[in-house]
Amino acid sequence: MERYDIAIIGTGPAGVSAAITATVRNKRVLLLGSARMSDKVGKAHQVDNYPGLPHISGADFAARLKAHLDEMGIAITEKRVGAVYAMGDYYALQLDEDMVEASTVILATGVVSAKSLPGEERFLGRGVSYCATCDARLYRGKTVAVLGSAADAAEEAEFLAQVVEKVLYFPVGKAPEPKEGANLVIVRELPEAVLGEKAVTGLKTREGEHRVDGVFILRDAVQADRLVPGLRMDENHVAVDLMMRTNLPGCFACGDIAGKPYQYVKAAGQGNVAALSAVSYLAETAKAKEE
Amino acid sequence: MIVKIENNDMSKALESKCALVDFSATWCGPCRMLHPVLEELSEELAGQVEFYNADADENGELAAQYGIASIPALLLFQNGQLVNQTVGFQPKAALKAFLGL
Repeated sequence: MERYDIAIIGTGPAGVSAAITATVRNKRVLLLGSARMSDKVGKAHQVDNYPGLPHISGADFAARLKAHLDEMGIAITEKRVGAVYAMGDYYALQLDEDMVEASTVILATGVVSAKSLPGEERFLGRGVSYCATCDARLYRGKTVAVLGSAADAAEEAEFLAQVVEKVLYFPVGKAPEPKEGANLVIVRELPEAVLGEKAVTGLKTREGEHRVDGVFILRDAVQADRLVPGLRMDENHVAVDLMMRTNLPGCFACGDIAGKPYQYVKAAGQGNVAALSAVSYLAETAKAKEE
Repeated sequence: MIVKIENNDMSKALESKCALVDFSATWCGPCRMLHPVLEELSEELAGQVEFYNADADENGELAAQYGIASIPALLLFQNGQLVNQTVGFQPKAALKAFLGL
């Protein structure tokens, strides 16, 4: 399998800046994100403190970022990153159905405000699951709730319905909904808490309670430490040092995900540092291999 | 080396001073990624920790007995006692910490 030098996740100012610097340094870069660039940037009314671009609108700023990538021949790969696995001397990235490998990873995903549900952490592995394909068969003959806000949540729910006794699907946000069937029911209620004692026994909603044996929570915006298992967090940001290094060797973070202030100019600066740190890391590991 | 558990028979792991049992399945992506990391760790910790793998599908009774509801699930046994458990993929350093090493 081909292995990239640097996989960069995110197409806001941090990710774009990292991609530019890494490309200038002749690294094989995989830039993952939306080709429409960061939604947050696009929606910004006006940016007043980005040097050289006074009073630029968010939409224009996003267009300038895209133009810069185009001019340097940097492509954006529009795939959803399901997980990033620290394999030891490389990272395996799950992109939709495919796996790709990269020696280093730069996280520039922005901050997500995916608040967890009361009971979610407590029952993780004891009825709460984030992976339908992994755990569906453990719920054969049982009833499960699916809390769907991810783009592919509907598909996952339909898959679950083929395996388990019954699926109660709670739509969250604007994601496409699954087809209702004999054992797949859409419930338009607002989930409030996962209930249970030793293991999950139910789901509490604003409107009532449902008895279920499992709760599958399928979100698009996952917290960084769920995306990259083993990553150390500092509250809701990734813990980094001044070189944008995380606790995982070869994994770097920059931009909003690395902490406040949430400013484009700071994000771009950190993206540059992260890329240079990745370049140094690649040189060090190559040297260590030679010796 | 990772020893495969078959026919729901976990007696070897329970007799061991320190054994890590990985409940997983072939259809589970994170399980497949975790396997080579465990393999590597088992070589590194040979003599200290015994490594076992139980296919949750083929060892359904065991999985039910230990209330396995998410995989990969890692269960740590010391002298037959379950002392710690965790779920999901983890890098090597985190696994060592989980093992208390």
